[in-house]
Amino acid sequence: MIVLVLLFAQSAADPAVVGAGERIFAQNCSVGYCHGIAGSAGRGPRLRGRTFEESYLLRVTRDGIPRSAMPAWKGRLSDQEILAVVKYVASLSDAAPSVTGAAPAGEIISTATAQAPSAQVQRGAALFFDATRDAYCGACHTLDGRGIAVGPDLTRVTDKTPREIAAAMRKRRPDHVVTAHLKDGDSFPALVVLQEGGSVKLLDLTTFPPVLRTLEPAEIESIASQAEWTHDSFLKGIGPEQMADLVAYIRWIALGDPRPVSGEELK
Amino acid sequence: MRPTFSVLWFATLFSCVGALAQTVADWPSYSGTPNAWRYSTLDQINSGNANQLVAVWAFQTGISDGGFQTTPIVLDGVMYISTSWNRVFAVDAETGRELWHYFYAAPREVGMGSSPWNRGVAVAGGRVFMGTVDNHVVALDQKTGREVWNVTVEDFRQCGCNITGAPLVVNGKVITGVTGGDSAHRGYLTAFDTKTGRRLWRFWTIPGPGEPGHDTWEGDSWKFGGGSTWMTGSYDADLNTVYWGVGNPAADFYGDQRRGDNLYTDSIIALDADTGNLRWHYQEIPHDVWDFDAAYECVLLDLPVRGQTRKLLLNVNKGGYAFVVDRVTGEFISGWPVARNLTWIRGLDDHGRLLERNEPELGKAKLICPSIGGGRSWNQGTFSPRTGWFYTTGIEWCQDVTARKEEGKEGKDFFGGIFRLRPPPHGNPGGHLDAYDPITGKKFWTYESKYPLLASVLATAGDIVLTGDPEGRFFALNARTGERLWDFQTGSGNRGSPITYSVRGRQYVATPSGWGSAVAGILPQLWPETETFNGGSTLYVFALPKPPGASGSPAR
Repeated sequence: MIVLVLLFAQSAADPAVVGAGERIFAQNCSVGYCHGIAGSAGRGPRLRGRTFEESYLLRVTRDGIPRSAMPAWKGRLSDQEILAVVKYVASLSDAAPSVTGAAPAGEIISTATAQAPSAQVQRGAALFFDATRDAYCGACHTLDGRGIAVGPDLTRVTDKTPREIAAAMRKRRPDHVVTAHLKDGDSFPALVVLQEGGSVKLLDLTTFPPVLRTLEPAEIESIASQAEWTHDSFLKGIGPEQMADLVAYIRWIALGDPRPVSGEELK
Repeated sequence: MRPTFSVLWFATLFSCVGALAQTVADWPSYSGTPNAWRYSTLDQINSGNANQLVAVWAFQTGISDGGFQTTPIVLDGVMYISTSWNRVFAVDAETGRELWHYFYAAPREVGMGSSPWNRGVAVAGGRVFMGTVDNHVVALDQKTGREVWNVTVEDFRQCGCNITGAPLVVNGKVITGVTGGDSAHRGYLTAFDTKTGRRLWRFWTIPGPGEPGHDTWEGDSWKFGGGSTWMTGSYDADLNTVYWGVGNPAADFYGDQRRGDNLYTDSIIALDADTGNLRWHYQEIPHDVWDFDAAYECVLLDLPVRGQTRKLLLNVNKGGYAFVVDRVTGEFISGWPVARNLTWIRGLDDHGRLLERNEPELGKAKLICPSIGGGRSWNQGTFSPRTGWFYTTGIEWCQDVTARKEEGKEGKDFFGGIFRLRPPPHGNPGGHLDAYDPITGKKFWTYESKYPLLASVLATAGDIVLTGDPEGRFFALNARTGERLWDFQTGSGNRGSPITYSVRGRQYVATPSGWGSAVAGILPQLWPETETFNGGSTLYVFALPKPPGASGSPAR
């Protein structure tokens, strides 16, 4: 809402803002099959020669349109950049509203000066989500709003020391993994997701990525709490320094703790 | 009743064998048959009576976002239809009565930008398989539509990819590609166990460190190099080989940060069906800077070349060239154009190499033909063994393209430039459907269209070819002359794939009608009136009228 208020407090015709918006638009909104060059239409609607309320443009640009082509640009572009795009799109219409008497956008919008992640945290993040590895962490864990939710979201490790996090990663037999035995002879390590209406939803951990399987009671022989499955098998090829990078990344996201982690302290 | 039962029995038998070259009564897989002919031996509807076709039922899916792009599957009198947002309907193929439906729960944050359309399901072993808008593969019970397994192929937010193409089922494996050729992503093709959903193999379309071909990528560009596998491949049971077309390298229009040939983008890959190991590859466009995927269908043909019958593969790429290669060895046989306005190269030499590349320039608009929409879109061609001809569409359009330096951010758009559609320098923009000799490219007839034809083409033993246009007309042509025999206004543009099948001795033709898609979205740049073309999502079914008093069998 702060941005919304500020929007009307500044000049619509500031050529520097419109010019910045034009560049951002060309790089982000014209591309691919979207709004076309200078809003001349693509997969997305034409924006040239049409009149939009700036508040509408701002809302749509910032939040997107659910179930439509329009993504939310909040988080992808800064507030300042979004504002510039809105001003630019408004300038494509003949009837853009004009309000005078305020400072340029650049001086109004203050972006939080968040501390930049350290090189170690960045290495850890890259490793956590390295899709070129067969069994990377993000294929089973969410963190920082990314990844696939199979195992626990690691933002929850807030009360863990670096050493405890490393120990959990190396744990041979996590408590919640079971072994499902099916009547057709198949058996596999699994996580029970849901038991309802007679059917059972299990995550089959045999291969990567895990498979969500829905089984009828008649197909299941038994579900045993003991499992041969081990988590530490996914740490193959991860040396002590890389382990430290992963732990540092997890702690940075979960706690905002910028402290470096050494391979030595995880032993 | 006896003859009817025997027809069904044969159909079932052949479906089980799976090595069937031409459909009999069903339309069992995406391209009809594993050789991707989109040809049916049914001939009750033929060039002599096609003008009598009438609509017998329609099915409204209620989901019109992004166009109705599916190929329906028909097995044993049941039709399986997929729509945008991954809804699946099983309907009685004779009456249109719904038997079950499955509505996939797509995450809320998935929008139209994620390409919600779907081009079809695969049905085998009592299961219906579908790739999803958020990059999952699901298996449904064929009888009830109940979900049996569901696997996340890769986090769609991370890869900037998903699945729009129909899976291919081969020997207990469901093989599926992914989109993502215009994102900073590394493409792959994955096989899952039809029974359990467990991953059996994955082939990375961009070789990793230490693998042959890795040196065709500069620095770390291989990690974000595209190489999507967004359409459906083919299968040769005798060679136990899966053939798949691979899309463009990313960034699309800017290639200076990925110097080299960029294997296996814009290539045909031949994989061992059991292991996913590469047998051979043929790269049509080394170091593509035009977004001209080689991802479309691989048509498997056994035809004489200089007097000797050879096992061949025909692939039309987005650059508007058909490539014919030996499908045992990958050797180049011939190449020929499907559109007239192709200025990105001057042509091909005798070895299939590109002559005089006309590349986009940094920061400067340059007129290049065809446009990003392609000298042909993904909508599939068809081969008729009766005429020996290959029928495919072609598009005449150009674009001003400007390359821009871009840095890849994982999973984000990675186009490296912008484009604006332009008419060809000489002549009008438009589309056409043509009949060709598949090896020489000699053209036998042309059917002209005001707008690009963006629906697949179907050929039958009745010597007709069927397709539809953006204005909603679904029509039948004489396969030998191109003469229009019949048409029907379906009320919305055609962007899917027609099929034919038979139930209890009566032949039906079915087609999806519903305008939309990425390419449909850029048409207004050349044809402003298409901006207001109505969307839709209706499956129409046609047949010959029953003679008065007849119960089961139709007029012949």
